[in-house]
Amino acid sequence: MLTRRQLLQTTGQGFGALAFASMQAAETSHRSQVIAPKAKRVVQLFMGGAASHIDLFDFKPALVKHHGEESNFGEAVEAFQNGLGPWKKPVWDFKPYGQSGKMLSEAVAPLGACADDMAFVHNMVGKTGVHSQGTLLQATGFNLPGFPGMGCWVSYALGSISDNLPTFVVLPDHRGFASNGPKNWDSAFLPSQHAGTIIYPGAEVPISDLFPHKNGRYISARSDRGGFDLLKQLNQKHAALREEDSRLESRIQSYELAAKMQLAAPEALDISKESDAMKTMYGIQEHRKVWPTEINAEEEADYMGRKCLAARRLLERGVRFVQIWSGNDNGFPRRNWDSHEDVERDHGPLAWGMAKAVSALILDLKQRGLLDETIILWTTEFGRMPSTQGGKGRDHNPYVFTNWLCGGGIKGGVTAGESDQWGYKPLDRANPTTCYDIHATMLHLLGIDHEKLTVRHNGIDRRLTDVHGHVIRDLVV
Amino acid sequence: MRFLCHFILSTTSALAVDFVREVRPIFEKHCYECHGAEKQKNDYRLDIKSMALKHIKPGQSAESTLFRFVSGLEKDTPMPPKSKLSSAELETLKRWIDEGANWPDGVDVAKLEDKTDWWAFEPLSKPPGNSVDAFIEAKLKEKGLTPAPRADSRTLMRRLYFDLTGLPPSPSDLTDLTDEKYEALVDKLLASPRYGERWARHWLDAVHYGETHGYDKDKPRLNAWPYRDYVIRALNNDKPYARFIEEQVAGDALYPGTVDGITALGFIAAGPWDYIGHAEVPETKLDGKIARHLDRDDMVQNAIGTVCSLTIQCAQCHNHKFDPISQEDYYSLHAIFAAIDRTEVDYYPDDASMQKFAALQKHKKRLADQIAALEAPLKQKAGEAYTALSKRIDGAAEKGANPNAKPDFGWHSAISPTQDATKWVQVDLGKSVQVERIVLKPCYDDYGKIGGGFGFPVRFKIEVSDDPEFKTGVSLVWRKHDATFMQDFANPGLKPFESGTAGDDGVTGRFVRVTAVKLAPRKGDYIFALAEMEVYESKTGPNLAAGKPVTSLDSIEAPPRWRKTNLTDGIAPESRSEEDKKQLIRQRDALMLAQADEATKKQLVALRKERDSLPALPAAQKVYAGAVHYGSGAFKGTHGTPRTIQVLKRGDMKQPAQEVGPNTIQALAGLFDIPFELRGQDEAARRAALAKWITHPNNALTWRSIVNRVWQHHFGRGLVETANDFGRMGAKPSHPELLDWLAVTFRDDLGGSLKKLHKLIVMSETYRQSSDGSVRSDGSNEFLSRQTRRKLDAEAVRDSILAVSGKLDLTMGGPSFQDFVIDKPQHSPHYEYHLHDPEDPKSHRRSIYRFIVRSQQQPFMTVLDCADPSMRVDKRNESLSPLQALAMMNNGLTVTMAKHFAAHAGSVKRAFQLALAREPTAEELAALEDYAKREGLENVCRVILNLNEFSFID
Repeated sequence: MLTRRQLLQTTGQGFGALAFASMQAAETSHRSQVIAPKAKRVVQLFMGGAASHIDLFDFKPALVKHHGEESNFGEAVEAFQNGLGPWKKPVWDFKPYGQSGKMLSEAVAPLGACADDMAFVHNMVGKTGVHSQGTLLQATGFNLPGFPGMGCWVSYALGSISDNLPTFVVLPDHRGFASNGPKNWDSAFLPSQHAGTIIYPGAEVPISDLFPHKNGRYISARSDRGGFDLLKQLNQKHAALREEDSRLESRIQSYELAAKMQLAAPEALDISKESDAMKTMYGIQEHRKVWPTEINAEEEADYMGRKCLAARRLLERGVRFVQIWSGNDNGFPRRNWDSHEDVERDHGPLAWGMAKAVSALILDLKQRGLLDETIILWTTEFGRMPSTQGGKGRDHNPYVFTNWLCGGGIKGGVTAGESDQWGYKPLDRANPTTCYDIHATMLHLLGIDHEKLTVRHNGIDRRLTDVHGHVIRDLVV
Repeated sequence: MRFLCHFILSTTSALAVDFVREVRPIFEKHCYECHGAEKQKNDYRLDIKSMALKHIKPGQSAESTLFRFVSGLEKDTPMPPKSKLSSAELETLKRWIDEGANWPDGVDVAKLEDKTDWWAFEPLSKPPGNSVDAFIEAKLKEKGLTPAPRADSRTLMRRLYFDLTGLPPSPSDLTDLTDEKYEALVDKLLASPRYGERWARHWLDAVHYGETHGYDKDKPRLNAWPYRDYVIRALNNDKPYARFIEEQVAGDALYPGTVDGITALGFIAAGPWDYIGHAEVPETKLDGKIARHLDRDDMVQNAIGTVCSLTIQCAQCHNHKFDPISQEDYYSLHAIFAAIDRTEVDYYPDDASMQKFAALQKHKKRLADQIAALEAPLKQKAGEAYTALSKRIDGAAEKGANPNAKPDFGWHSAISPTQDATKWVQVDLGKSVQVERIVLKPCYDDYGKIGGGFGFPVRFKIEVSDDPEFKTGVSLVWRKHDATFMQDFANPGLKPFESGTAGDDGVTGRFVRVTAVKLAPRKGDYIFALAEMEVYESKTGPNLAAGKPVTSLDSIEAPPRWRKTNLTDGIAPESRSEEDKKQLIRQRDALMLAQADEATKKQLVALRKERDSLPALPAAQKVYAGAVHYGSGAFKGTHGTPRTIQVLKRGDMKQPAQEVGPNTIQALAGLFDIPFELRGQDEAARRAALAKWITHPNNALTWRSIVNRVWQHHFGRGLVETANDFGRMGAKPSHPELLDWLAVTFRDDLGGSLKKLHKLIVMSETYRQSSDGSVRSDGSNEFLSRQTRRKLDAEAVRDSILAVSGKLDLTMGGPSFQDFVIDKPQHSPHYEYHLHDPEDPKSHRRSIYRFIVRSQQQPFMTVLDCADPSMRVDKRNESLSPLQALAMMNNGLTVTMAKHFAAHAGSVKRAFQLALAREPTAEELAALEDYAKREGLENVCRVILNLNEFSFID
């Protein structure tokens, strides 16, 4: 039997890749893991289309006061679309929550119960106001395609905790992908097993190719099992004559793990054994069949709740990184956060549904003792303008937006980084926060020095954080 | 002067500041962190004299940028940024500079590395030696290794077939390979069209060819494939490598009048393109500029990164840290591509037509220029009368009394005080039909001096449904209302608006509804009006909406002029007739000619006669390529005038510095002694100059790069392991002499023939070695004491599965097959692979003809480490994972093909032979037969396709 190191040297798949072969993955570590980790797992919540910080998390009394007055940004503003209108106050009222007294919008009221666990960064800045570039930047650290998603890097560095589930799972919006689709979680130059595995909880085929394609009517459970056995037997004979080539043995093991995944994945996604109270907490209405045709909060909560509950079950079973998407691309009718036309219409149901499900996830992880070692990041590609763009909507604002984090070594109830009085740019324009800082901080909590997690590709030692990024000390316990 | 100063000061002051003892410690304490050996922010370092003096003016501290920064004189740039020099330190520094900045030689703590001192930048020369084997054996001897014995015939045959054609041999090909037979097989495979298909894939990986734009919306490029066919054709025809590259960079300029000269330009456009950043954001905006910058960066990387194996993109924010590429070099390469975008370009099916077309076009242009030159003064002379007639001809005349204006032709919504009110009107077709095409005809009304296009909405959508309320089962046919499409719909005048549904994805429904979400302006208020709505089930069929009932949200109902029934009454205003227009043109022409003297008139008439006698241009084919874009609206393109290119400080679009013109990497131009010769003013001259520079015989990078890539695909690793990076961050060659020998041999003796290069390599004993590694000591096999066992790439696996199943369709060329269903094509296409039926024979072609989507890559291919078309891939990753195992066992392709494989083979033994090109052992056969008895041959075939031996080549 090969040693772990031999396997590494011969397969060149990165440390994390060994997980499936070694069965002891939790111990595996990349040379970049040099700090004692506080967290083991990550949930990344991505609001596709650009969620408004102003209407949800970043309370601006000045906008309430000057609502409807002609907006004056104090400088020429280059908006994505033309024609910025008057100042627009938050669509919903804000109220203080928890010990910290954090002001949150009614639209995300269910998150109030978690306010003291959440840490806000209101001075995030992006690079452009173009959805695709903004989304790639927050997801991969680069505003052009061809770079691995954050989950891929974590998978590459830390490997799997489980030997029968994927390391990095993506739960897309059921209505479709957000901007760039799988480019946000592709492995790019990392080996393909580090790519996010798409899971549709509740779907007939939750993971592609988990079971034989429907054209395989000749395949029975028995022939399938027999096939795996025969394959192993023949492959072992072939490998015995080529002992020095460890890839052959690895491939044999990969089939054994595949067979295990066929059993483990459906079990992990089966929510039928969860209690009714649990489902209700997540906003799931399991047996409801009929929903209004217009976008509505309860239905959004049901969708998001199913994803969040699946996420919790996957995390419990050893999935390392779960990425949950809310909102698809710019289809019609609008089902994402890109509220150019009407913030209330789209943000209302999306935000409430998200808040209901996500607060349940946080509280549930907490009651199971998992929150301490699970980092939760809420992000989006950029924010929205403090003024209207003529009607009831807001234009893109890449100049400032909000992220929040929770769990896994994050200091609760704090705000690290403020936006200015309008929520237009950072309060301290010279010291904004970037995705590089957020990523550096999260890697730090996972025990990884973000400057050391590198892979050479086309002559450059690539990092998730490019050549930037500082750990945000104010966020860390 | 400086020297004089220096001399006087340093000799007159007895207590001159000592650099080593007093000044350098200040630099160490405050500066080296950012301007020392590790980092050189803003390309400045203070640990090397020659570099440090850039910002020091000896004798003049007040004029020295360094002193101004550290003393706070430059308020915007305080240095160091987070600390401060003490007043004593400042005083020392000031005195030292004023005394002449005496920095003794030989005390520098660091040495400036000569970036050109690197193997890849050495000029090419041919080392002594006469075969691949000689170089390999010499190195093996040096390392105390011996070569492995030759592999057996079956192994060699499989190796050659997969290497050269990407397909398995058929059992009937199996023979004992004597030397003669081996060579004959090599020749046969190189002559096979399958060769070009196999090796085109390697090239397309390197140039990151894809058939959708990538980024947001990821729209398809339906005419990208002619470039893919070009690459296959070029390889099969063994086009000399220099010409192969020249055509791809500047074929239009260097090889005009050839099909290849145009289709090859797909190279420039092969990579991703930010549709929104170009089509919805104009160049005047920062985001628009960034999108175009990224676009050029991609073109520069494809040219220099791929062909010369340099990490050119590293010089985007600062001078290249390791290689001799300045930031100015990088931006001067941007200037090469400054006039072009990614767009569709016309070409004709063969060179003869291309030349005919080019000559015709040239002729036409010459005549047009001559005519224009004669007419210009006449037009001027004709004065205002001429201008007035022109305006009428251009359509402005429609605003006057319209002969077609009849009183009874439109439906008109209620009037709205605001523009963003929503209004709809719909037609009930009486039954559910397949809707192919919808035509909306605008109204005409002189009210508000509007005329044609009166009431035509600024943003709207068209939907079809069986539900009159449009609450369920709504299909969006066309939309221009969504704010993400920010271009308002321009008033169409009287031109009818036509919406096609998206090709095969026709929609069905009984009701067709037009909803305006941004109304047409009148005088201070807003309306929605249409003259006629027509609905067609097919291209030629009748208008199904004729006479059908109309409902609407509201209507002003002012008959006969405005009423709902007018929408389907078959009467709509028409634009001025062609004859009217011709009449006006004749009138204007007469006016102009009246200004001319007899001689001019005669000349003009003759020229026009000649012009009119020229044949019309034939219908062209299109290729998606890098070329000048002639657009209008937000994405205008350059129309041929290069964009201004400036060096961007820190790569930041907000910090443009000096302007640069087209040029190349200056240090290399010098080292290799290759001038950059710009011949001509047009934009193509820039690309032509670069192409010639790249393919110049002296360009050692180009020739080393390609022989290394070819070597890599024959041995699993390159002589230089980093095929895309020959710079200092890349690897050093394992066999530098062999690399140069191959490069010079390829360039000179083989005339740039890739087929001859392949033959040279695969005929070697080195290539023919066994891959058995059990007794060898060279663990990583860097020195090639055996062949390398290789895992088949995604294409070879897929093609092999189809081949052994008897289903592989070898049809060459043309549009790609799509193994997905496109959902929502109107907006952001969703590429739904799981909806594809693996039985679809269209998808049984070789993988090179697969339609390559950038955002949603084909899952089966991707899990097998297929190249990501968003990156330039020099070497595929090779991974093994449970997800890969699941795909091989359960994917529609393998599961479906195992069935056909069983039918095609007919027996366990035959299936085994087809898949593995050998006889099963008795033991293997027994195990398989036993399983077959229990579960049937189809299940056996599924197992065979999953064998390690099927996916690995010894």
